[in-house]
Amino acid sequence: MISRLNFRSGVPVYRQIVEQVKAAAAGGTLRDGDPLPSVRALAEELRINRNTAAKAYAELEAEGVIETRAGKGCFLKTGAPSPLRRSVRAERLAEAVDSVIVQAHHLQISPGELTDLLAQRLQYFQQQQADRPE
Amino acid sequence: MKSSPVIDIQNLVYRYDRREAVDGLSLQVQPGQCHGLFGRNGAGKTTTIKCLLNLLRPQSGSVSVFGLSPGRHEAAVKERLAYVPDSVAYYPWMTVRDALDYQASFRRHWNRQIETELLDRFHLDPKLATTALSKGQRTQVALIGAVCPEPELLVLDEPTSGLDPLVRREFIQTVIGAYQDAAPGERTVLVSTHLISEFEGLIDRFTIVDHGKDILTANADDARSRYRRLRAEFGQDAPDADTVSGARTLRREGRWLELMVNGEAESVIAWLQGAKALRVESEALALEDIFMAAVGTKGGLP
Repeated sequence: MISRLNFRSGVPVYRQIVEQVKAAAAGGTLRDGDPLPSVRALAEELRINRNTAAKAYAELEAEGVIETRAGKGCFLKTGAPSPLRRSVRAERLAEAVDSVIVQAHHLQISPGELTDLLAQRLQYFQQQQADRPE
Repeated sequence: MKSSPVIDIQNLVYRYDRREAVDGLSLQVQPGQCHGLFGRNGAGKTTTIKCLLNLLRPQSGSVSVFGLSPGRHEAAVKERLAYVPDSVAYYPWMTVRDALDYQASFRRHWNRQIETELLDRFHLDPKLATTALSKGQRTQVALIGAVCPEPELLVLDEPTSGLDPLVRREFIQTVIGAYQDAAPGERTVLVSTHLISEFEGLIDRFTIVDHGKDILTANADDARSRYRRLRAEFGQDAPDADTVSGARTLRREGRWLELMVNGEAESVIAWLQGAKALRVESEALALEDIFMAAVGTKGGLP
């Protein structure tokens, strides 16, 4: 689920976990209802503090990506409707898209190339989802 | 932070003869945190810890643990904490079982379940004589003995020194994980080390100590996002950056200049570009890099 943490990325460790779980969900490695490791198991596997693991799970839960079932642990809930309004979700995504556009400009990637790349990557994620055995 | 600190040290001074071991050190550890005390050998870490345990009396400054003075309320303080020194000795006639029972006899509470679980995890046979234990196994037994009473504070002094690098990381992680799992938020750890990279992921907050003084206290994530290393290449000899605010020179050699910045990367990058740098690379730093720069750079951290 989590490939590795990078302590030289400047990105808070809990954030890296949040992003990797979300990427695993988007790529189909994790599916709706799949269990996540316990806070302690995750902390041990990644050699991190349990506070950090717990913070990552709390954030994922607040964002509606996972849910905690009493006594059973955490599960992915991609199928559930987002707790955020559509306009809020669109606004959040627009921020991320803007930063990609800015980066593309500085890397001298033309708008045409960028839209092609976006289409390619979308297809890649969809393929990953489709390829995962039931 | 809202709650009162578990450990509160203010301007601690402790001198051995004329050599100053701790020279005006201040440190606060918040409940539920895993706090790293980072310093080179001889920086004053062990002396500081000994003052917490009333093994040494502060010559000036104040030390409080759970809001109590370790000197005046020694029993009340020690009952609520466990301490693992850097080298552990057992009575030679004792087995692992005996050694743990002996430690348990001093405690009001002892969690047998954690004991069994950890002995099992470490493949430690309770019937083994303590004289037959390797250095790593002795530390494992000491750590098990420290977490079974489920104290509010765990104090570890260089727990991995002298151990095989391949085995040392995992079991510290395992023990701290087991300890903090039952009541997160109430289980506090203070761990001293000079091997920062081994504790990189375990630390919530840390204090770097050098020559008996605290020179930086920060949250691990904050420090990792604030401190960056900039490496610039120039067409001619690299310029002198000593007067650039917010930057500290790590290395200046020929056409290369390596700087460390503290949250002001943009303005320093702009300065480098103004000085005609051909290219500038920027890299976030891990705790170990920050530590090395803090204790190894002239002028300290930016």
